[in-house]
Amino acid sequence: MPRRVADRLVLPLAGSLTTYLVLVGGGISYAAIGNSASDGLVTQMLINAVVVLGMQIYIGNTGVLSFGHIGFGAIAGYAFAIFAISPERKAGQIPDAPFGLAEVDLTPLQSSLVAALIALVVAFVIGLGLARSGARSGAVAATVITLALLFVVHEVARNWIDLTRGGKAGLSFSPLSGVTLQGRGWIYLALLLALVAARLFKETRYGRLAQAAREDDLAARSMGVHPALQQMIALLLSVLVVSIGATLRVFELGSINPRLFFFKYTLLTLTMLIVGGRNSVVGSLVGVVIITTGSELTRYLAGPSVDLPWLGWVLRSGLTDVFLGASMLGFMIFRPNGVLGDWEPDHWLARRSDRKSAVQQPEPRSVDGSHPEAFLRVTDVVVDFGGFRALDGVSLTASSNEVVGLIGPNGAGKTTLLNTITSLVTPSAGSIRLDQDVLDGLPSHLIARAGIVRTFQNLRLFPALSVQENIEVARLAAAGHTGGRRQPDVELLVRASGLTELRHRRASELDYGNARRLELARAAAAAPRFLLLDEPTSGMGDLESEQMIHRIREVAGLVQAGVVVVDHDLNFITGICDRVYVLDQGKVIAVGTPDEVSQDLVVQAAYLGGPIGPSR
Amino acid sequence: MTELLQQVVDGFGRGGIYALIALGIAVIFGVMHLVNFAHGELITVSAYAAYGLFAAGWDWWLIAPAIVLIAGLTSVAIEFVAFRWVRGAPDFTMLMTSFGVHFLVQAAFVMYVSANFRQFPRPGWIFQTWKVGGVSLEVFDLLVILCTLLTLGATYWVLQRTMFGMSLRAAAEDFDAARLMGIRSDRIIRGAFALSGLLAGVAAVFWLMRSGQAGPSAGLSPMLKGVLAALIGGLGSLTGAVMGGVILGMAEVLLISRLPEGLVGLTDGIVFLLIALLFVFRPQGLVTVRRAERV
Repeated sequence: MPRRVADRLVLPLAGSLTTYLVLVGGGISYAAIGNSASDGLVTQMLINAVVVLGMQIYIGNTGVLSFGHIGFGAIAGYAFAIFAISPERKAGQIPDAPFGLAEVDLTPLQSSLVAALIALVVAFVIGLGLARSGARSGAVAATVITLALLFVVHEVARNWIDLTRGGKAGLSFSPLSGVTLQGRGWIYLALLLALVAARLFKETRYGRLAQAAREDDLAARSMGVHPALQQMIALLLSVLVVSIGATLRVFELGSINPRLFFFKYTLLTLTMLIVGGRNSVVGSLVGVVIITTGSELTRYLAGPSVDLPWLGWVLRSGLTDVFLGASMLGFMIFRPNGVLGDWEPDHWLARRSDRKSAVQQPEPRSVDGSHPEAFLRVTDVVVDFGGFRALDGVSLTASSNEVVGLIGPNGAGKTTLLNTITSLVTPSAGSIRLDQDVLDGLPSHLIARAGIVRTFQNLRLFPALSVQENIEVARLAAAGHTGGRRQPDVELLVRASGLTELRHRRASELDYGNARRLELARAAAAAPRFLLLDEPTSGMGDLESEQMIHRIREVAGLVQAGVVVVDHDLNFITGICDRVYVLDQGKVIAVGTPDEVSQDLVVQAAYLGGPIGPSR
Repeated sequence: MTELLQQVVDGFGRGGIYALIALGIAVIFGVMHLVNFAHGELITVSAYAAYGLFAAGWDWWLIAPAIVLIAGLTSVAIEFVAFRWVRGAPDFTMLMTSFGVHFLVQAAFVMYVSANFRQFPRPGWIFQTWKVGGVSLEVFDLLVILCTLLTLGATYWVLQRTMFGMSLRAAAEDFDAARLMGIRSDRIIRGAFALSGLLAGVAAVFWLMRSGQAGPSAGLSPMLKGVLAALIGGLGSLTGAVMGGVILGMAEVLLISRLPEGLVGLTDGIVFLLIALLFVFRPQGLVTVRRAERV
């Protein structure tokens, strides 16, 4: 599909290349007009850009706030120095280096590869730990684990004198040896690779699923995404890039000590990442430029050459750190997504090419061939919340050829039943089967992969992704797990749910009705055998909810899925359902066609409170 | 045996301070879902206040209550300047905001005072010991334990018996429901910050009596200990936070006394490593707080 290649490969590459040329070109011309100090500044800025791009890959895509990336940088930096410093120099600095490291003599290039490898091994172990801790966007446990890495590496670097020469002296390439970073050639290359890696990762399957989990972990899981794999891959790639940046930094400075990769550098790089927009690759570069410029400006203003007596109280040494802290705080308060949010230059290119090619879009094909009938069987399920029995021996059977409704007064256990089927709630007794497969006890994402996908009563879209991306991500999540079910065309789902005009809007911008329709389309995109819909018409008017009947039928028909739907709107339930289960106080009190059920006296009693009710 | 007893008392002494800090962090987490990494700045501010008041010729007996008050006011001020704006923001934003406050306050002290630590005299009696049947107990530890118990008792009374305390607990349980019941969110959040500031102030008094110095990063270590203790206690659980503090203090004391000579410099590193392992295997802390998400 050439269009997809253009969208996912060519345009991002073109955008990255343009950004790269602007950044490097700007840097070179600034260095050319300035003195040797500005030359060094540009070099540092470009190296920082590599490190920040590395951090963007993990923090941006997963939303996990990591304080450990500079710790990985320290590991790589030390490894690089220990391998690259010549044995003669090492004899003077760390003669007792363990593991025979004092004798090792590698070229800088070899050393940086070994250094990156060591950092990757550590990253792999930390990544397993993060996965075990259930890392997700904003998770505190993950932040503490990464913070611990930063501190532990720092402590080791200060105390393992034999290996690192401790905190005071640090390790240095002797100034006499003549081994320094000649020119900026390697930096240019590293920056280009980092930029392309970061930008393309965003478009890969792993990147996109990680972003979905960042936006809403629970919704992603109920789509079949288990974010641990994506997060691990993001972590490894990002640590690789950070390590390369760190070795360049050490090489450029010609020395390393524990303070070089600790809190201060973490603050600097994190601020750069956040100010520009952590979700955007180009944004993180914009942040690097803004913060570098700002820092230099404050340094100049606080320096001796500026003498403004009435501003003496701000223009003093230390202003640069205040500027960094204030930028971090100010952006979090006033613009938490940074200058660019998640904008990339190729989005603009894509929109232009979209406009041109709007006429010649291929006619989508429907899913053809029919799937065999499947059955969802819930048997004698009991759920207890503390002392409260929410479900009391509920049994239900649904076929993939029908629409089954669940109704009942508030607190009857309807949503709890959906939550139990999708494994958000663990039953204390009973079983749930899809055909022959036992589902109870499986985690949510495996339930989704088995073919049961749900929507949520309180709407859980991926707010920062566009309408189309929400649907694509669900399709991507299910790819390879559909067990032979064919996946629906995204185009068709967009149309069937009536969102064609809004396809490039962000999900967060949709009104209630459209958001509900998008959630329906997104669930269907995972090619389920059963769609579980929790109050799909809540918040809709009469006309809209009547239209929803046709939408649900059409969308479910596209993927040939059975539907289990919870709703309060009796007209809607009567209009859409083949059979209806009535729940009250955790028990099924009636089953039948909508007509039969509405005649039932017990049901009327449960709803209206009459003389003939279930025993209370 | 006597050695162990001394260590237990020592552990409770340390743990008591951590518990007060952690309790403050848990109170704020309860009403705002914010893990306040800027909580240590209250201790930094207190440290400079102590330094300044000493320079002005005050005595510890006057400085102690002044510090408690200053910490409480600073806490409310920080809420007003920074955290007020990010109420209800995503977790990432709130975490980053608290780090922003942390870095900014630190940078401001470097700029306006000095990057170096300033010393002030410690009370003379803090190293005195008290012999009870072969066991020598530090008077300071006993005082810390006593004051911690009194403070916790007073906090308990406030939380259980006053209107403010009940609103606060209700808000910690379910903030939206509490608001719908007519509890003023503004007041409750400000009150939570004041309470947590006062608790940090009490902790700061003891911390500073022992350290006797003020520096821009004076609050870093107590903040980390407090956050860790609150996390061990399951964040948001007030009893859990207190337990977490005591567990952390006890673990540190036992670790220091049992670690081989060469590794003592690494104590903080090892504690951190253990904590990291704890969070790998029990990310919800040792005390599980039921926080069902409505779906």
